[in-house]
Amino acid sequence: MSATAPLQVDPPRLSDRAALLDEAPLVQGKDDFRSLTDKISGIVLTKPPSGWLILFCLAISLLLVLGGSLVHLVGKGIGIWGLNTTVNWAWDITGFVFWVGIGHAGTLISAILFLFRQKWRTSINRAAEAMTIFAVACAAIYPVAHLGRIWFAHWLFPIPNQMSIWPNFKSPLLWDVFAVSTYATVSALFWFVGLIPDLATIRDRATSRTKQIVFGILCLGWRGSHRHWLHYERAYLIFAGLSTPLVLSVHTIVSFDFAVSIVPGWHTTIFPPYFVAGAIFSGFAMVVTLMVFARKAFGLEGLITTRHLENMNKVIVATGTMVGYAYAMELFIAWYSGNGYERFAFANRILGPYSWAYWTMVSCNVIFPQLFWFKKVRTSIPAMFVISILVNIGMWFERFVIIVTSLHRDFLPSSWTYFRPSIWDMSTFFGSFGLFFTLFLLFVRYLPMVALSEVKAITAAADPHGSHSNDEAHHAA
Amino acid sequence: MKRTPLPLAQDISGKTYWRSLSELAGSPDFVDALGREFPPAAFEPPEGVGRRTFLSLMGASLALGGLVGCRRPVEQILPYSRAPEEVIPGQPLFFATALPMMGTAFGVLVESHEGRPTKIEGNPKHPESLGATTLYTQAAVLDLYDPDRSKSPREGAAAKSWDDAAAFLRAEGDKLRGRSGKGLTILTEAHRSPTLAARLADLRKTLPEARIVRYEPFSRDAAREGARLAFGKPLETTLDLTKARVIVALDADLFGTDGSPIKQARAFAAGRAVDKDPKAMNRLYAVESTFTITGAAADHRLRIQSRKIPAFAFALATELGKRGVALDADLLKTLEGKSGGLDAKATRHVAAIAADLAANRGLGALVVGRSLPKEVHAVAHLINLALDNTGRAVRLVAPFDESREGPEALVELAGAIERNEVETLIVLGGNPAFDAPADARFADALAKVPVSVHVSTHVDETSERSRWHLNRAHPLESWSDVRAEDGTASIAQPLIAPLFGGRTDAEIIELLLGGSRTAYDLVRATWLNAEGAKRTEQDLRRALHDGLFAGSQLADEQVTATTQAAVDALRAFAPAAAEGLEVTFRPDMHAWDGRFANNGWLQELPHPMTKLTWGSGANLSPSTAARLGLKDGDIVTLSGAGASVRIPVVVAPGQADDSVALGVGQGRRAELRVGRGVGVDTTPLRKSDAFELAVGFSLEKTGAVAELARTQEHFVMEGRPLAREGTLAELEKDPAFAQKQVHVPPLLSLFKEPNRRQGHAWGMSIDLNACIGCNACVIACQAENNIPVVGIEGVRETREMHWLRVDRYFQGTDPNEPESIQQPLPCQHCENAPCEQVCPVAATAHSPEGLNDMAYNRCVGTKYCANNCPYKVRRFNFFEYGQPDSESRKMQFNPNVTVRSRGVMEKCTFCVQRINSAKIEAKKEGREHVKDGEVVTACQGACPTQAIAFGDLNDQTSQVSVTSASPRGYRMLDEINTKPRVTYLAKIRNKNPELADA
Repeated sequence: MSATAPLQVDPPRLSDRAALLDEAPLVQGKDDFRSLTDKISGIVLTKPPSGWLILFCLAISLLLVLGGSLVHLVGKGIGIWGLNTTVNWAWDITGFVFWVGIGHAGTLISAILFLFRQKWRTSINRAAEAMTIFAVACAAIYPVAHLGRIWFAHWLFPIPNQMSIWPNFKSPLLWDVFAVSTYATVSALFWFVGLIPDLATIRDRATSRTKQIVFGILCLGWRGSHRHWLHYERAYLIFAGLSTPLVLSVHTIVSFDFAVSIVPGWHTTIFPPYFVAGAIFSGFAMVVTLMVFARKAFGLEGLITTRHLENMNKVIVATGTMVGYAYAMELFIAWYSGNGYERFAFANRILGPYSWAYWTMVSCNVIFPQLFWFKKVRTSIPAMFVISILVNIGMWFERFVIIVTSLHRDFLPSSWTYFRPSIWDMSTFFGSFGLFFTLFLLFVRYLPMVALSEVKAITAAADPHGSHSNDEAHHAA
Repeated sequence: MKRTPLPLAQDISGKTYWRSLSELAGSPDFVDALGREFPPAAFEPPEGVGRRTFLSLMGASLALGGLVGCRRPVEQILPYSRAPEEVIPGQPLFFATALPMMGTAFGVLVESHEGRPTKIEGNPKHPESLGATTLYTQAAVLDLYDPDRSKSPREGAAAKSWDDAAAFLRAEGDKLRGRSGKGLTILTEAHRSPTLAARLADLRKTLPEARIVRYEPFSRDAAREGARLAFGKPLETTLDLTKARVIVALDADLFGTDGSPIKQARAFAAGRAVDKDPKAMNRLYAVESTFTITGAAADHRLRIQSRKIPAFAFALATELGKRGVALDADLLKTLEGKSGGLDAKATRHVAAIAADLAANRGLGALVVGRSLPKEVHAVAHLINLALDNTGRAVRLVAPFDESREGPEALVELAGAIERNEVETLIVLGGNPAFDAPADARFADALAKVPVSVHVSTHVDETSERSRWHLNRAHPLESWSDVRAEDGTASIAQPLIAPLFGGRTDAEIIELLLGGSRTAYDLVRATWLNAEGAKRTEQDLRRALHDGLFAGSQLADEQVTATTQAAVDALRAFAPAAAEGLEVTFRPDMHAWDGRFANNGWLQELPHPMTKLTWGSGANLSPSTAARLGLKDGDIVTLSGAGASVRIPVVVAPGQADDSVALGVGQGRRAELRVGRGVGVDTTPLRKSDAFELAVGFSLEKTGAVAELARTQEHFVMEGRPLAREGTLAELEKDPAFAQKQVHVPPLLSLFKEPNRRQGHAWGMSIDLNACIGCNACVIACQAENNIPVVGIEGVRETREMHWLRVDRYFQGTDPNEPESIQQPLPCQHCENAPCEQVCPVAATAHSPEGLNDMAYNRCVGTKYCANNCPYKVRRFNFFEYGQPDSESRKMQFNPNVTVRSRGVMEKCTFCVQRINSAKIEAKKEGREHVKDGEVVTACQGACPTQAIAFGDLNDQTSQVSVTSASPRGYRMLDEINTKPRVTYLAKIRNKNPELADA
């Protein structure tokens, strides 16, 4: 059990405040260190519940849909999608922004909340980070797949070549390439570093030779020595520091794809903060959706408590309101600017042929999350499940509305069109959920889905002074 | 495959050229080949040639560069400006020839690359072309390479050789001579070929009993017959609108389908050069039932049913009579009784137009449409004579052929067949089984003829019912000649040996008469010996070089009114009944009378007013559609005159109420890979007695809906200052009114902008006041730049590839009575191009000369540039569009323009290949700069009205600098800081103050 020493953090004790505010403990149940380890590593080391296999088969099927769609796409050309000469981006880039946005919650939870010493994050940060990486993997499909000549996708990278041609550094798409690839790299490293002590735990408890070897390699020879912990803590902190600006920068740069262009409805300065808020909003909604399932499926209600979910719902209502503010401000600026094209673009969103999409977006993103002001709603599992899914639908529509309604009617009325998705647009998007869930299901099955070493630090057992009361765990919320 | 060199006769210059060593050595194969007109390989369709063989063929022809390649025509042909011995691979040659159509002929210069004609330009010397082209002349080059063209003669369904066919024709001729031609009927198109006419005259001599019939589905019979009524002899009307201040077009599509569109449009635009002299601006009144481009260009357009236009014309005559115009009193009395039934608006127009015409004696032109009855033509002839317009703007010349060519001819012929009077029927071209009047039942009659021969480029509806089909040579691959409307004669010289071994009409008559002269000999015979004046070889060479015989135009005919005949005819004239819907038949814009149905360029070319592609519909006015509960695309059963067709409704603003405009020419049933089944065949509704206008029709909704393929769905400008226009009064008040329609703030750039004021700065100006929206530029661009067609599905998905499009906006409050403005839109080559900044791989970048270049092979296809293009001129290859559907189609490609692959963005390049070749020429001559006028873009070259100017903006004296500096000039969307290099010149309408609120 050498690998599971508690974290060396010592925040101020606020048991009085906790009692005062009647806050629930971060971890519930009677788990001590040992039972926690049993529980988490048990998921990895024993046979999964039969439900897992069914879900995995479903996910793989969806993944095959994605694969088939992409093969067809490369074989025939992107004409299989519903795009036209006026609307050149639609479900593809909507899917890209959607998935990149989803990823943001993971980074926010693992990095920013870590820096702010939000201890409640420990139960969910591992899964949220995994979600980030898988979401970025899904997102990465689209910028590649939407290319007319996929086989030259590498030209987007500044690879030295015999023609001495460099990419165009003025193009937001190039900034995207850097932003997203940096994000993917840092997130993956951050996640992996955080996994090391837990991987060592699994290695130690593994019974089969293969598992011992695989996990042995993955945990990079972790022995749990003081020096290991010291380096680990430092590395983790550095990665948290590196990731923090990424939470803000990645979606800012994604928003530049639109903001830097001259298309009315895209060309707005509000986009960076609006996109970041939206990203966190959608990301938290996705985490809630997944956690509601995962805690039930793997019996982790004690670790991922209603309190965790409630906190996330608070973030959802906060960011949802920000997004709502952005919607309102967009309209105001469009009117206030006096720019006819801008005014038209927004009037067209609200009242034009895609008004159904706009109002879907507004109700899902602004109206329904407001229900989380009520404690009853934000602590109700069914309610938060429904609302979190609605938020994700709404956020998909937000990107769709921004991209398609702006493009389909821009400057010259002669070129106005109406975009209709083809079956391949849909299969490429829904298929990406196959990739996401396949990866996520593999993750919950084969890796410790809760950050064991971190969670132990916030259990009652880890607090030498708090044994007299269950309510007196560390918390700083 | 055995390849035999083509025999090449002695060159005019006296030199002997040999094509191969075997020819030089006189090998047996070669000697054998000399006896045959065409080498065996020439008959092989490129279809049947595998890719390797094709490539080796093409490679070989390149290698034999000095010998032009394997498809040089057999006889000498003369290049327009350079001798054939100068043929250099990669250097195009231009040959002058002429293409007959619309009752006239268009002189053209055909660009030929190593023996392949690739592009057609107008012949500046030819009065019908004036250097420009119509859309149909542009598209003719694609027809040449149509893979569906028939490859050999056929008897029944069996392919035959030309030897068999010639033997058959000679035997048939022998038989006919035995009975002096009794039972023989020759059915020709309304051809204007002196050589064919000479052959037919010979035939008349040899076979005096033979009957020769002319037929054209859209003939100009009524105009000629109208002249017969008015002046006692049939005359051809030819317009010189440069001499007209007031032009009144009664159902006459002057710039579209009514013949001589280029000449008329050029003259019309010349009379509207408001920057030079606004006072001299002409005024055009269009009185029409369907919205044509002539109506769109008009200063005043009266929307009126076609059946009421005769009354309108008569009222106009009456009104002119009241104003003291010397019209016969009897005539006026007769007309007065027949000019009723006009509404208040029409009456106001009559008064205003009459006043305008009377005030501009000798400076007017009353033009009556081809489709109106001869009585209306007669009245117009008399009015023009009385107003001294005849001999000025309205010229009358002797017709090419006095015989009738309308539907009656076919009804008579079908009757003769029924009476078993026709034993041998030779149909020279045309497709009467498809386009004959329905009551002639010509297709059935044709099947009853014992010996029927159809000479045609395709195995079409007529060929299928004929015993023999003889494959006809395309005008670009055969020797022929043609007279234009005004008599100007041209020799049509072949640009390529017949691809599929076809022959000409004259050759077939020659064979029938037992002769064996080739088309070349026949044409030479016509022009060297016949026609009175003895011409020398030198004259012939000059005519070939110039593309016309100088001075061959006809003189004006002196006329005196034969009023009594006109009065008698007018007394008997009964206007079409007012009951039910009226139906007007017009040549389908895409297919003309059906002959272009298999032409993908034309099928995909948006109709100038409805923007419809790939199909046809019944045009209805918005209010009629609303009254009948019909929406755009609803399929209806249109019935009347004992027949009905199912056809989609096209709601067309500007259409007269209760009037249905139908195109004729679509819905072909022959084996055509492009044209078969496109659109609806409306010929069953077209009867000989109501061939142009039918009444008493009704519509019934079927409940089915068709998805029409349009390239533009939104026709309102949304109050945006895009295509700007004003009235002459506004212009005189403030010449720069157009620039003031939008506030352009001070513009800054994020990036350091390069100095654009050195070297060349290519720019374009487009005069909306001259543009008539005829589409010739669009198809010229397509031909020049290897632009693919995407098919009906592609257009439905808005993926058409045209680099240059013509935007059409409607204005006005009443959707039934819109004014329309046309705006050609190429890439604007913005100096501050939004597309360039966003391309991640720098595939689109600015050239030092200000071109917004596309590096196709760098493009990865993010399409971001297209999203960010405010003009939406970028076109994306969503699929592998560039791949031609046949080997023969490949031969049309312009070798100087890359064929784009799938996944690549493309757009207008300002014809960069032409700029570069001009620069190379300049460099060879040691000049640093290209001179103004040396670069002509494809669109500019094709434009009938010279609305497009292109050149160097850094050259202050260049034409484009001058036009761009016009006070009417504005740059579209300048306020968003794109700095476009295209300047639009606002459209000006010369409103008649008397009709200010009409």
